[in-house]
Amino acid sequence: MNKKMLITRPEHDDTTHYLSHWSKKAIALAQEKGITVFDLSREKANRDKTEGILKKQEPGLVIFNGHGREDAVGGHKDEPLVIAKQNDALLREKITYAISCRSAKVLGSESIKQGAKAYLGYEEDFIFFYEPKRITEPLTDKTAELFLEPSHEAMLSLIKGNTVEEAERRTKNMFKENIQRLLSSEATKEETSMARYLWWNMKHLIAHGDKTATF
Amino acid sequence: MIDEDIKKLIIARLEVLPSDKKISIGSIGEFTKEQLIESVKREDAIGRKMIQIELEFLQALKEGIVTT
Repeated sequence: MNKKMLITRPEHDDTTHYLSHWSKKAIALAQEKGITVFDLSREKANRDKTEGILKKQEPGLVIFNGHGREDAVGGHKDEPLVIAKQNDALLREKITYAISCRSAKVLGSESIKQGAKAYLGYEEDFIFFYEPKRITEPLTDKTAELFLEPSHEAMLSLIKGNTVEEAERRTKNMFKENIQRLLSSEATKEETSMARYLWWNMKHLIAHGDKTATF
Repeated sequence: MIDEDIKKLIIARLEVLPSDKKISIGSIGEFTKEQLIESVKREDAIGRKMIQIELEFLQALKEGIVTT
């Protein structure tokens, strides 16, 4: 049976615009591998469509991009898509990766109680810098790359069939490499000042559930 | 009420952030360096978050656990 993946990509502000564009590489990789991708972008990243695909298509991998809170991940205009103790059972038997602030704190652990295989996400606010002049071409933004390349590595790693633990490890290693680069003597003062936010993201990335699970 | 010396330290550290870039702080929004500094001065939610990050990072540096 072919593998299925759901990805949500709201684009209603700078943050979601960047996350959405940086996810395109993951979509392309999944398609290359013959994975069926349900791509809910912009207005389509709403609760109805998300629930519909989770129920009817049963994707093995779910990727959320967007704003979040401790008990939920958000979609277009921050509409909650999956909420702990409401519809988190929809994540049953699935691996989820959420670049969505704080959702690993409650939704992550609650979804595991509801039978989710694993939930990889951030327990605190996900932070990144970007260059406003690059807003129309987010993939050329070298500042955002420092933050978004590591965070998106987890998606690529899961799509490649690595375990959740490996996806977490690779992502943290990339954060670490970028921190070391920014703290090196070759970096400018301004560059060095951004290192603490990479460290913050690295520190708060956490995996719940079965870390040996693969997609 | 946050100690004034701590606020001064955090503001000094935020002053070094790049001026031509913006920072996205999750669902809270996107900010310039100047807005972050104002938030620290006002001790609002963003300012308190910045203080938390700075203090935890300084502690991690002190303990040598930033890249371990």
